[in-house]
Amino acid sequence: MLTNFNFRIIFEYLPLFFTGLKYTFIIALISLFLALIVGIIACACRISSFKLLRYPVIAYIEIIRSTPLLVQIYFLYFGLPTLGIAVPEIQTGIIALMFNSGAYIAEIIRAGINSVDEGQLEAGLSSGLNYYQRMRFIILPQALGVTIPPLLGQAIVLVKDTALLSLISVMELTRSGQTMTSERFMPAEAFLTVAFFYMVVYFCLKYFADWSQKKLIFREAY
Amino acid sequence: MMSFYFGRLVEIFPFFLSGLWMTVKVGFLSLIICTVLGFILGMIRTSHSVVPRRIVGAYVAFARGTPFVVQIFIVFFIFPEWGLQLDPFPAALVAMAIMGSAFICEIVASGIDSISKGQWEASASSGLTKIQQLRLVIVPQAMKVIIPPLVGQYVLLIKDTSVVSVIGVMDLTRVGWVTVMRIPEGLMVFALVGLLYFVISYPLILLSNYLEKKMAI
Amino acid sequence: MIEFKGVNKWFGKLHVLNDINLMVSKGEVLVICGPSGSGKSTLIRSINKLEPIQKGEIIVNGMSVHKASTNLTKLREEIGFIFQQFHLYPHMTALQNIMLAPVNVKKIPKPKAEKIAREKLERVGLSEKADAYPVQLSGGQQQRVAIARGLAMSPEIMLFDEPTSALDPEMIGEVLDVMIGLASEGITMCVVTHEMGFAKKVADRVLFMDEGKIIETGKPADFFDNPQTDRAADFISKILTH
Repeated sequence: MLTNFNFRIIFEYLPLFFTGLKYTFIIALISLFLALIVGIIACACRISSFKLLRYPVIAYIEIIRSTPLLVQIYFLYFGLPTLGIAVPEIQTGIIALMFNSGAYIAEIIRAGINSVDEGQLEAGLSSGLNYYQRMRFIILPQALGVTIPPLLGQAIVLVKDTALLSLISVMELTRSGQTMTSERFMPAEAFLTVAFFYMVVYFCLKYFADWSQKKLIFREAY
Repeated sequence: MMSFYFGRLVEIFPFFLSGLWMTVKVGFLSLIICTVLGFILGMIRTSHSVVPRRIVGAYVAFARGTPFVVQIFIVFFIFPEWGLQLDPFPAALVAMAIMGSAFICEIVASGIDSISKGQWEASASSGLTKIQQLRLVIVPQAMKVIIPPLVGQYVLLIKDTSVVSVIGVMDLTRVGWVTVMRIPEGLMVFALVGLLYFVISYPLILLSNYLEKKMAI
Repeated sequence: MIEFKGVNKWFGKLHVLNDINLMVSKGEVLVICGPSGSGKSTLIRSINKLEPIQKGEIIVNGMSVHKASTNLTKLREEIGFIFQQFHLYPHMTALQNIMLAPVNVKKIPKPKAEKIAREKLERVGLSEKADAYPVQLSGGQQQRVAIARGLAMSPEIMLFDEPTSALDPEMIGEVLDVMIGLASEGITMCVVTHEMGFAKKVADRVLFMDEGKIIETGKPADFFDNPQTDRAADFISKILTH
């Protein structure tokens, strides 16, 4: 099966793969950072007591969760031009990833906050702390331990999601595989190499996630 | 201009429905295949024999560590080189089966692991074989832990069917993609596509939330 | 009936069973006691292969327990095991718990298995709880159902791993009463327990273990009133001052 595998061609295309990998990293990092901001803001609105803030955000989150990412990407890619907004594909892709992961991150943070024992809230209330103080000193520090692992999980999902951007012609790792296939008609060499690179990234991220989980468990002893 | 296109959209709405139907077909068949495969793999994953467990582990790592779109390309473009030439629809099912079963395998394995060792020992002590223990004692109890995340996974899998559009399966996403070439109203077209996905996903999400609450008792 | 020949087991560096040689005859009631970590649970769990051993041999009814070629199912059909934590199947009623093994291991048809199950339930005094789920039963009742479950296979040997240690004091009596009844029926019993009253009443022999070794054995009366070793005497005084 692998007897005809042409490693020489793969070496020839390594620069292309590395470029793709580089862009995958950049896109993933930027999207993750922006998604965190979106997620935090959305979560704050989600748990606020103002219906005007809460309901639109709930709608946003449910729509994101009920529709495929690819559809969201196409929606922006084909839709923004009709509004007269001309955006380079890579930015369109980042915006799509930002809103998509942002919704999931909002829910992760919300779950983390809800997971803090009610008794903690009551203790804070009893000592006269106001809402912001309770949040800052009691809830958020404890919510952090519960929130970080799923956040890292979402980061891993985000890296894989960047692959869909290849379908709107964004230069990243999967697109390098497509380019090599169209130039050389060697899909096996192209996509198995691409898969290999993704797996390396996956294992690194997973190892980091497991490692940080161990450190967090240590911190939670009480 | 918008109303002109809106009128045309209404005209080709049946086309969207056919895409929706294809999505439902792919989704439904995939869910069944993935669930059956996933349960089998999950039970292997928790067995005591090291080699099968590691093999399934490697398989799961591949399916979870690579993007689904790359897996679809592998099934559609590379399998023929190895002797398996597939049309888009079967290829889509195979790719979904590989990916979905891996995720379900982890959910099932995690459920089985959550059952206390004492249940294994008590059933083993009365002479039941490993398979009998799994079938009669362990898995029935594990279902409580498995079903909520399983339904959640179903929602994710149905959304993932959108990616099979890239190998030409005329599902709801591809219908939108094809339509937007002729009716350049990206917002309307994909809002409609999104709406139709919402119609089939949201009830499942509600079901998953409901089950999570119910099983937590 | 049960024979230990030079049995040794290690958990890493810990020598949990240290050269155990033991013979249990048919119909004998053996009580095993000792401080925690003495290996008594491990000893009893190795009889039905819940724990593997590294050295030596255990022979039950002519079958070598730890030989790979031994038919585990056949072996375990003849041994009933009662756990400290009961481990009833929570998704089944008491009756279903008891019927599970007879139907699936001995292939007894369901109606006959149900009859046997109800008999055993009556034997432990819980006929009216046949359709109750474990969560609806008290600890003492659960343990009695567990005993009925063990008896349903008509085993020749019943093993008890601290059967009353997880029970509230007021429920210990009901379980011990059932066990005392069993003892008089001629079933071979090995019981790991701290309940010395039970031992004095029905045990044919008491085994005292410490640090993986059998330190002393003897008839209950002899053992409790006249321990031969210091360690045994020390242990007895500790539990009697409770």
